[in-house]
Amino acid sequence: MKKFSITGFLDQFVGVQAGKKIAKDVKTGELHEKREALHEEIEEKKAGFDIKKAAKDFWYGKPHGERRLGDLYIGNTGLYKHREWRGVKDTMYYFNCIWLYNYLNMGLDIFKGDEPLAFFKGVWRYRWMGQTYLSVMHWFDRGLEGLRGEALKASAWHYRAMVSETIRQFMRMFAADTKLHLDEKNEYWHKTIAHDETVSGNIFYPWRDVLDDVPLQMIPYFVSCHVNNKTVLNYIDAMQSIGLPADPCPMCQAESGIFVLDDYPDYSPVMVTSNEACDGSVATSIITDWFLDRPLFAMPQPMRFDDPLVQKHCQEEIEQCWKFIEKEYGIPFDFEQYKKYAESFNKLTEFEHEKWDVAANTPYYPINSVAQALYRIYYSQDGDREIWHKTDAHVKKIMDKCVEKKIETFPMTRHRAIAWSCAPLYYSNWCTWAYNCWGINTIINMDSLMFDQMLRTDTYEHALEDLATFNELAPMRSMAVGGHEHIFQLWKYMEQFNCDFVIMYDQLQCKGMQGIKGMFEDEFRKRNIHAIWVPHALPDKRTVSRKEIRSIINDYMITVMREEPLDPSLLDFDDDESW
Amino acid sequence: MKKFVINLLKILGITYVILFIVFFFDLDGKLLYYLWEPNAVMHYDRMKRKDNTLTPYGKKDNVMPDSEVKAKKIG
Ligand code: SF4
Repeated sequence: MKKFSITGFLDQFVGVQAGKKIAKDVKTGELHEKREALHEEIEEKKAGFDIKKAAKDFWYGKPHGERRLGDLYIGNTGLYKHREWRGVKDTMYYFNCIWLYNYLNMGLDIFKGDEPLAFFKGVWRYRWMGQTYLSVMHWFDRGLEGLRGEALKASAWHYRAMVSETIRQFMRMFAADTKLHLDEKNEYWHKTIAHDETVSGNIFYPWRDVLDDVPLQMIPYFVSCHVNNKTVLNYIDAMQSIGLPADPCPMCQAESGIFVLDDYPDYSPVMVTSNEACDGSVATSIITDWFLDRPLFAMPQPMRFDDPLVQKHCQEEIEQCWKFIEKEYGIPFDFEQYKKYAESFNKLTEFEHEKWDVAANTPYYPINSVAQALYRIYYSQDGDREIWHKTDAHVKKIMDKCVEKKIETFPMTRHRAIAWSCAPLYYSNWCTWAYNCWGINTIINMDSLMFDQMLRTDTYEHALEDLATFNELAPMRSMAVGGHEHIFQLWKYMEQFNCDFVIMYDQLQCKGMQGIKGMFEDEFRKRNIHAIWVPHALPDKRTVSRKEIRSIINDYMITVMREEPLDPSLLDFDDDESW
Repeated sequence: MKKFVINLLKILGITYVILFIVFFFDLDGKLLYYLWEPNAVMHYDRMKRKDNTLTPYGKKDNVMPDSEVKAKKIG
């Protein structure tokens, strides 16, 4: 992290450094040479200048192969010299309906929150808030780079929904937080359930009308990694500073590090935890229990869940959790509330299936891979909320239009890829880069395919059974550590989504997936499948940088596939210091 | 009234153009990156925090006796 200095800041903006350099160049005579070279360059450009083409590029934006998106970056900051010109229509759409609209709505969402002033206190108090939240528009920029038309619109709606739900969650946390209210346990505190981000929001439907449930690490850890990946490094280091070796899964380290640094909001009288992120690595539930020091219910998700006895056990645990909430809050379980929200949630799943159908069988799917993955994992983990329905309605309109009018949303697709295993959180937008640079279009990813379970509500027994299965199909549980029969569902989904390419994430500190790497290698060879192993360390960009990830993909595309990049300016650039 | 409306439109027009310049040249990003973030980081680094590692182990009482959990019925 660069230290701020007034002079350094002025240098950036008033060009003092540039002035000094010019003075030096005059002395050494370099300026003359540079001027000559510039003249030559201008003459060359003049000779090749075509006014009609320039007007067309201005109006419609440059065609894919001529964009040179990599030239827009400033050094290794990830900032843009200027944002991309996408043609008049799409640039104005981005400016009005994405940039302005989202800044405005971010403000409005804060004022819709339970206690708007708590936002400022939260920014002041929590690193994950102040360092991350304000740079959110750059998260949009990175994920939506190069997109045009309907793909730009549909993907941006997904981002909007995630921002809105994030604000709802942190505003509730802040309204209830004793640390922002001089240790006072207010009404919000008494009416909020805290739970691990990997405990599904569906579990708490029986109380949704009277209590609110907010996952503890979703915003401080998960969302912050995507928006500004620097924040999380503090938490990883904090956990190691109390003696944890560096090799366990950094997700578990970071989630626990938030407690070590006292950077968690205290917004609930209870805590419901799971064994995910993998307890085998860090024993996160035990650490949470120690630091939070309040009634805690641990509800582990079984790893090998195919055995019917394990299913039964899982159902019993959910029931125990319900009893725990009844007892702690003194509010009885309400099956009618469960039914209402579960049925509403099923509508989201129905639309998800519709989306998969279009993605699998047509080239008209308007959602890019990073929007698809993050939105899906976010809403299915979070549970039923109004914003997801509103977003799906917008996206459905766009998708129907694409299908009806046969709009090819990613026209430069050379390969239809499926991304498998646990993804790098600090570079979830690698797939935007891969499409822009190589035409690798990631159609679907493992995170989207989990939780594929309708929730029956006809009887209590059916409801419980389905909820238990839903819980077992949690992120990273079934297809990352749930046994090879689930992990190898890859082949089935490859066929279903008509993919010819696999991006195989290689989370270097994930003991589950590391154990099965050799079996994958054998299968890829046997089935003659092109697969690129992408090493990473989930939230920790220091282990494998984004630049290294790109260079691994570049190497494969050049040496094995013998292809030319669509945008050579994206092959090699620095972004180590970017958000 | 007419003058007021014209002036208002002028102000809105100028604001819109300024916002577009901020957007196009990524001035929001530059401001946050060069000015906000380094100061924010300095603030969080200097912040006095509770030493949570001093929390005693096992301070908590048993929140619900096992017999009570087993006896409860739901649904
Ligand atoms: S499955 Fe792997 S990446 Fe996911 S939490 Fe467990 S160890 Fe970490």
